[in-house]
Amino acid sequence: MQQDKNVYRKNFVLIIAFLILISVTFIVALFISYSLTEKYVENEFNSKNSEVLDQTTKPYNDLFYNTIPEITFYQGFLDSASAAKYSDSVFKTYHFVKRTTFYAIDIAVPTATEPRDLDVRVKAIYQFSPGNGGVVGSRKSSASDFSDFEMMSARLKTFVADADTAREPTQDQKFKTFYDIEPEKIIYLNIPRREDIKHYQDLLKNIHSNAVYAQNMITFTLDRSGLIVKNTHPELYKNVSIRPVVYDPIDNDNTNIVAESPFPGAFSNYKLYFTSPHDYLNAEVNRRFMPIGAMVLLIYIFLILIGWLIYRNLNVNIRLFKLQYDFINNFTHEFKTPVSVIKIAGSNLRSDTELSERQRKHYGKILDEEADRLNDLMNTLLSFTQLENNAIKAKKEEIVVEDFVRGYIDTFKIKYPDFKINFSIHGVVKFYADPVLLGSLFQNLMENAYKYSNPKRKELAINVKKNKKDIAFSFADRGIGIAKEEITHIFKKFYKVENQYNQQGSAGLGLAFCKELVNFMDGDITVNSKINEGSEFIVTLPYEAAE
Amino acid sequence: MLKKIYIWLFAVSLFALGSCKEHKVRQIPISDFFKTPEESIFRLSPDGKYISYTKPYNGQQNLFIRSLADGKDQVATAFTDYPVRDYSWTYSNQIVFVQDAVELDQFKMFALDINTLKTREVLSIEKGRIRLLNNRNKQEPDIVTLSMNKRDPANFDIYRLNIRTGALKMYLPNPGNITEWFPDDDGKIRLVKSSDGVDETILFRPDDKSPFKPIIRNNFRNRVEPVAFTGEKDNFYAMSNVNQDKTTLVEIDGSSGKEIKSILSCNKADIARVDYSRNKRCLELAVCEEEKPTKLFLNNTIKTMYDSLARKFSGSEINIVSRDTAEDKFIIFIYTDRNPGTYYLYETVAGKLTKLGDINSSIKPEELCAMKPVSFKARDGLLINGYLTLPQGSNTTGLPVVVMPHDQPWRTRDTWRYIDEVQFLANRGYAVFQVNYRGSAGYGKAFNSSGFKQAGGKIQDDITDGVKWLIDQKIADPDKIAIYGGGFGGFSALYGVSAHPGLYNCAVVQYGLINFFTYIKDVPPYFKPRLQMMYEMIGNPETDAEQLRAISPVFHTEKIRVPLLIFQGARDERANISELNQFVRELKKQNVPVTYILKPNERTVFRNEHNRMEMYEQIEKFLDDNMRVKR
Repeated sequence: MQQDKNVYRKNFVLIIAFLILISVTFIVALFISYSLTEKYVENEFNSKNSEVLDQTTKPYNDLFYNTIPEITFYQGFLDSASAAKYSDSVFKTYHFVKRTTFYAIDIAVPTATEPRDLDVRVKAIYQFSPGNGGVVGSRKSSASDFSDFEMMSARLKTFVADADTAREPTQDQKFKTFYDIEPEKIIYLNIPRREDIKHYQDLLKNIHSNAVYAQNMITFTLDRSGLIVKNTHPELYKNVSIRPVVYDPIDNDNTNIVAESPFPGAFSNYKLYFTSPHDYLNAEVNRRFMPIGAMVLLIYIFLILIGWLIYRNLNVNIRLFKLQYDFINNFTHEFKTPVSVIKIAGSNLRSDTELSERQRKHYGKILDEEADRLNDLMNTLLSFTQLENNAIKAKKEEIVVEDFVRGYIDTFKIKYPDFKINFSIHGVVKFYADPVLLGSLFQNLMENAYKYSNPKRKELAINVKKNKKDIAFSFADRGIGIAKEEITHIFKKFYKVENQYNQQGSAGLGLAFCKELVNFMDGDITVNSKINEGSEFIVTLPYEAAE
Repeated sequence: MLKKIYIWLFAVSLFALGSCKEHKVRQIPISDFFKTPEESIFRLSPDGKYISYTKPYNGQQNLFIRSLADGKDQVATAFTDYPVRDYSWTYSNQIVFVQDAVELDQFKMFALDINTLKTREVLSIEKGRIRLLNNRNKQEPDIVTLSMNKRDPANFDIYRLNIRTGALKMYLPNPGNITEWFPDDDGKIRLVKSSDGVDETILFRPDDKSPFKPIIRNNFRNRVEPVAFTGEKDNFYAMSNVNQDKTTLVEIDGSSGKEIKSILSCNKADIARVDYSRNKRCLELAVCEEEKPTKLFLNNTIKTMYDSLARKFSGSEINIVSRDTAEDKFIIFIYTDRNPGTYYLYETVAGKLTKLGDINSSIKPEELCAMKPVSFKARDGLLINGYLTLPQGSNTTGLPVVVMPHDQPWRTRDTWRYIDEVQFLANRGYAVFQVNYRGSAGYGKAFNSSGFKQAGGKIQDDITDGVKWLIDQKIADPDKIAIYGGGFGGFSALYGVSAHPGLYNCAVVQYGLINFFTYIKDVPPYFKPRLQMMYEMIGNPETDAEQLRAISPVFHTEKIRVPLLIFQGARDERANISELNQFVRELKKQNVPVTYILKPNERTVFRNEHNRMEMYEQIEKFLDDNMRVKR
């Protein structure tokens, strides 16, 4: 086990354990969130019914808190015509008001029969109900209408007799005297001001006894059928209905969930009755659970994705490690050839007792050549690693294209007298680049063109031209060409096309190096090639014109 | 970049300099404007030996006496609960005055003996009112005449009270419809005015033993205000607009009620006041309230005196407020639009003027603003008069404006004088605009009656037209207009912001009229004669219910959208507090920013100094917040 520590490991058990763990967590999370949603919906079913009640009773509350106290604003000056108008506006706004009964009341000094009480008399009773787009009114005088009046006038008498006019009556006193709420009926008597109550008390004392004061009383007969249920939560309550407060059916199948809330005020004999089948609520639970489940799933997928990415990175690292290993292997081989030649030459020099002039020159040439080769190899290696690590900086120097190209052609012509090189330059004279890096490019690409050509067809055409913002260098040879399937690989490090031309002395680094160089100079390198016809390498660099 | 900063800095400093200049107007503290007058109500004793006046002492207005013999001042009363508001001298050197004990709902009458400086209560009634009648009598110096509704809250009877013995004797019981009494030079009441609601009747009797006989019957559109008996037969002087549009000074035959001759009239406005000397029994002058008050003299002695005074106080209004019986000492009161008023003692014999006191010495006239009469054409072509007070400073255009419609249409109008509220607002940088909309008093019968049943109608149009005129004249900044008023003015403010939500930024309402049903119902039973008139001026709550409902703000809270500031005294007899509470609650429910200030121990107008100061502080802040006045 000791040696395992230094070895790249792949542990499938670990990966599987991880997968199982997060999958279990995923399932548990789904389960818990579902049951929480279920509870939540159940709670909402039992609590949101007050909201529905509020919305449903809003018109009633408006009537009770705003429209009814408006009667007091008229200060007892309402008559049959204005009461009809008032009733009309009530009917138009509040459809649950079935009927209003208007009492014009006169208040005068106590009569002889009841000397201690105010004389509260009904002048007229009118009954209004909605009809033909307006209001239908009729004069009334039935006993039932009087019973309301008798009750309210008794209260008013008591109130006037006991009132303390030094201060405003309390809300409670006002409510108990001037309002009467019965099932589906509200009776309201306009609330006299303190001054009026003083005047009423004066009447009791027989002061200013000829005065007659007016009060208004209106009874509102309500009808629950005019009350519209506003189901603000249709997703929770499938059926909302208005039922008598005692309504309580037996649900044998237990299919429905039930909630209820009683109405306030004049509708207190009714309640709102909410029912929903279990299935209905389950559908709601599912609907609410959907986004939560999706979220959990998303997190799950995300975790899996991250796991996979980590796994992939590890794989890449292993490959890189192998690559470096190969690199060292390769280079060791490269170094081995010249070193062994030097070694042989060295041992020959030592063993031969006497050297002929010819031998001395021969060994000297061998040593010199092999040392150069080693030097070249090391230079390439160094600059390559430098480039890879961005350790060198590109210098920008002015380059005269023609001189630059011609310089390299001359060098190669000396080196390889059988190398035929043509060149042409279009639309560019000078530009800015690093001459050393560009030189390396030229060297490599020209060397390749020579190396991978048949001895009779060692030809190269160099073409330089300017394309808008770029400068393109084309190196077209008539060599052996590159197979289609090889083209994608030739720029990779240590990739060697297997053929007769690179049996010795190629590390498979040349084009990879070129690619690195071009990248470093913010350019691009492409290749077009056909087997046995030749290849064309095109280097495109950003054009930076000489100023 | 640096250049830009320099330019910017330069601009800012210029602006700062400019605004410094603008701010030269000193902000006069609120307390200076609205403090209780220091020394006021100066009176000469009938023998000319004493001057009495009221001055704050122990936190209330109390009586002070200055002896002219040695020039020494003495405190005469020391009330700490309620102030002395008005008083009068008797020929026996007693001072009588009435106090309204608001919190106790009581009226009290006191007498002060000038020799002992002792005050004694001579009369007190609960839940009623006492009014002193200007009726002193040399023959019976201890008898004062007063009206009191003790017997019946709806009726004021005339009593004679002996302030030495406290003996109270009914002199003239009120059959129920007498509203005014006019004593003659001998203290006898031979002329009274009765009102049965719509009609006013002048009744006359030749002597105390004879019964009153109606001599003139007037519709309430006509008015006859007796001034004094001429001394010739039963003739009397009166201000009358019978058979003419404007009120003129006439002589009327008391026995027949026939107008004998017209003495004086004025084109533009009513004769507002006639001065009559009861000592010399002669008419002195009449005042015609045009753009500014104009005096028309009827007596040369008095004209000479006024002329010489006018040379000393040019540009000021001069009035005699008190005189001794011999008429060689006078207390004169001078005022302008920028001077609340100064009292002088004028001794005709020596031609000597002695300054007695200022109503408000904290006010420096040069710091205040001129009240300029203006006029404009309403949409139907009627000429409407008003006053415009521009804030100090060179800027006369694009000003923030506070519109102040007056209260009590048909009975009052705005006049040219010092008005503390107007000057306060002008000092704070607002132009103040007052409109004598149609229906205002003082411009003749036609103008007055053109406002009948126009509450919420043409009266409001006149105010709106005035504001539009100000905008057309480029005086008003159309984005900075507030409306502020009390009573009917408060109604105008509320109506203005409901009907023209874009015109006004905000409204300030004092004891506002929010419900015309209540307004009509609020006519207390002892004002019952006026009820019928109210129906004609505003509307009948039964037959005109729709119209009254349409114009009453209490029914239309949904139309109000601008910030409101509402003041109300809880003891205001004419207000219905629970109704106002409901109104405010409704507004708040509709998210209208309302500041509602209800003071428990105040009647209509805030009397308590602290409450008053607080009110104006609130108004200042409220207007500042809502008008965004750059200072």
